[in-house]
Amino acid sequence: MSTAGAGTGPNASGTPRNGLGGPGRAPAGRPAKPKSAGAIAVVVLILLAITLWAGLGIRVDLAAIARNWSNAVANIIQLTQPDYGFIPKTFPALLETLQMAVIATAIGAAVSLPLAFLASRATNPHTPLLRVVRFVMNLVRSVPDILYAAILVAVVGVGALSGIMALVMFNIGIIVKLVSEALDGEDAGAQEAALAAGASWFKADRAAMLPQILPTFASQTLYTFEINIRASTVIGLVGAGGLGVLIDNVRNFFRYHELSMIIFEILIMVVVLEMFSAWLRKRLV
Amino acid sequence: MKTTPLPGADAAGRADGGRTGRADGGGNGGGHAGGTGESKANRMHARPAKPVRWAAKFLWLVITAIVVAAFWSVRIKWSSLAEFPAEFSKYLGLLFGPPDWSKFGEAFDATILSVQMAWIGTVLGIIISFPLSFLASRGLAPSVLNWPLRALFAVIRAVPEVVIAILILSVTGLTPFTGALALAIGSIGTLGKWGYEAFEGVDGGPLEGVRATGGGTLALIRWGVWPSAQPEVFSFWLYRFEINVRASAILGLIGAGGIGKMLQDNVQFRNWDAVGMLLLVVIVVTMIIDQISGTVRNRLIHGVWEVPLLRSYRRRMSMRRERMEP
Amino acid sequence: MAATRGPGAESPSAADIRFNNVSVRYPNGFTGLTDVTLSIPAGQMVGIIGLSGAGKSTLVRTINGLVPISSGDITVGDYTLAPGRRQLRGRALRDLRSDVGMVFQSFNLAKRTTVINNVLMGRLHHTPAWRSLLAAWEKDDVELAMQALERVEIVSKAYEKASSLSGGQQQRVAIARTLAQQPKVILADEPVASLDPPTSHVVMRDLQRINAELGITVVVNLHFLDLARRYCDRLIGLRSGTVVFDGPGAEADEKVFENIYGRSLTAEDVLEAKAEL
Repeated sequence: MSTAGAGTGPNASGTPRNGLGGPGRAPAGRPAKPKSAGAIAVVVLILLAITLWAGLGIRVDLAAIARNWSNAVANIIQLTQPDYGFIPKTFPALLETLQMAVIATAIGAAVSLPLAFLASRATNPHTPLLRVVRFVMNLVRSVPDILYAAILVAVVGVGALSGIMALVMFNIGIIVKLVSEALDGEDAGAQEAALAAGASWFKADRAAMLPQILPTFASQTLYTFEINIRASTVIGLVGAGGLGVLIDNVRNFFRYHELSMIIFEILIMVVVLEMFSAWLRKRLV
Repeated sequence: MKTTPLPGADAAGRADGGRTGRADGGGNGGGHAGGTGESKANRMHARPAKPVRWAAKFLWLVITAIVVAAFWSVRIKWSSLAEFPAEFSKYLGLLFGPPDWSKFGEAFDATILSVQMAWIGTVLGIIISFPLSFLASRGLAPSVLNWPLRALFAVIRAVPEVVIAILILSVTGLTPFTGALALAIGSIGTLGKWGYEAFEGVDGGPLEGVRATGGGTLALIRWGVWPSAQPEVFSFWLYRFEINVRASAILGLIGAGGIGKMLQDNVQFRNWDAVGMLLLVVIVVTMIIDQISGTVRNRLIHGVWEVPLLRSYRRRMSMRRERMEP
Repeated sequence: MAATRGPGAESPSAADIRFNNVSVRYPNGFTGLTDVTLSIPAGQMVGIIGLSGAGKSTLVRTINGLVPISSGDITVGDYTLAPGRRQLRGRALRDLRSDVGMVFQSFNLAKRTTVINNVLMGRLHHTPAWRSLLAAWEKDDVELAMQALERVEIVSKAYEKASSLSGGQQQRVAIARTLAQQPKVILADEPVASLDPPTSHVVMRDLQRINAELGITVVVNLHFLDLARRYCDRLIGLRSGTVVFDGPGAEADEKVFENIYGRSLTAEDVLEAKAEL
């Protein structure tokens, strides 16, 4: 420790000496190859068995694809010919999808920020409260968005409101998890300093921790917005408003020209918004 | 007032000189330009004016405008929110008071089917996306191949799995297999992207090492890229499996079978006590699968077997220990 | 209001610190301090020296209650820190802490926010919760923070992000943050351990100047003997949690240091010598 050279000396000379000292088994000092091949084989076998079991369970039927191929070709041809005349009819649903995504993101982000602070050990010293918040958040996260939609459609009725509420629940799950994990990993030095200066936990968290995770929070909110755009096209399938309702209508009548038009619109919308949000996120961090 | 500059501390003298003129002004709370007007204070010690961040202000204005416009224009009867608490508690009673466990066996079978659907979807997705991500990585394949593949991944990611399922169900019918195929296609979009990002993110050192020994592209992939990217890629596969478990429930809602289908049927017939039971099953199963998958992912990335739910607890204990040991 | 509390104004009575038979045992059985009795009069600048693990950090952190004591008691001005059930907590603890500024080895700034916001953290104790939530700082507090920045000669950086500053500048912002508290005591836990030698001197001079001009009691942990001897009125040597030396720097000769360190001095223990390594 006292001089720089002494630290590296013993290590550097140690290894070869040990190596020469072992006259026991075959090549002096060479370690035996670790036996991992057997373990890997077992893992691969298990995975294959699960796959076989699952494949039998869902009755994988490759023959069906061949059987219905002509049908498929016809559909694909329909899909490549979107019905452009259908565009005006999609506008209200498209707008509703966007509205739902914007509103849900705004509410979700606003609710998530304080919850994230309650869900992180770094910012919430109150252990019982922390446990309760984390438990509830785990519950909230384990329900898929469309299940929220299915239930909420029953509770508040068909339309955008149930969709927004479903998306909000979904968003809270995501944002709280990601932001509270960011808080857990954040350097708490400034917070310690604020506490040492007599600030309460609330004030210390606000002044010292919030600025640190704000870029993460903004970036996660944008990411959630992207997810919401995609999700809000889906939850309409159970009646929660947006493009999904339209998709449900046209699919029931197999109007593939119109369906392809809708998909085309979703594609453009998602890609454009993703590019925008990627640009914005790059500027944030 | 101690304003005498300390002898020896020359820097202090300068700072004091700047402050003497202002100390009285501070009394009325006047934060007005302060030092800037003083001829004596040099530029280092002048108070800067508070900068106005126009770009940030503009951004906030735009965001606020968009959100306000969305709230204002959306067709929603906000008044129905007033009834929500009452309605919600009513439905909570219907769902969970108590749930109908008589159909648990059926629900269990349906859940297994959903998980199988997710598994096959993930496996197929991995098989197809794995080689494609190499072809989409810059430096490992010609850019003629990179860009179309990346575009393909982006297009797939933009389309929800449900829509993919609707597209392909004319070929395979409304079966769990269709669901698995839809999940497989959906997985290609994300796994493909994560894959090439991981491959391109591999540290340059090992790559150079392999190149220096004169290895070809295949050797480069096997010995330069794969060893570094492997844990991350495995972890992506597991993560995608978790996503597919959730998505399989969604596919069920359009009739692909499994827990989603059972749920949809019971919602349609308003068998709320059965729906409550199904919700619990879905929550518990997703949680269990997340924990298993999270445990394996921890092993892959951090090299330790650790259940995520217990990790926070253990981390807390070790943090406490660290704090106690100076 | 600001005129009576401004750092430029007469310091609001520096506090004295008294340790009466203080011991600290950590829950894992490690002993931090053993039966320490000390009296630090108001306005003194005291350096604590010793090897790492000798209890320097523990001693400093007991003074603002960051480390709870196991027996004995500590008085800081009007406050008394006691062990166990009589511990200061909640509001009373925060009152004490607002009177005691602390400077850390790793600066402990919120790097993503501005320098002035970091300094204003020293005012949080006096700021109502709603104001801190909205970052609606009171004008007097902003003035106070600006004056604190002027005292450490870094006011021109007030609106820059803390992360854009060099290590020495960051530590001076941290000192400004404690000044904004209008403390009666400043504790510094290895304030120059992360800095290069010239910057170390700048930071130590800042502390010395604050002590001399404002009469604030300063307790500083130092590893480097030459720094401690040069800047402090009095040195306290710790070894395995007990005080083995207490006297002016001039008295601390080679033999005393050997007693504190349990070995003869090496280049590592002297800043100037280390700088030449």
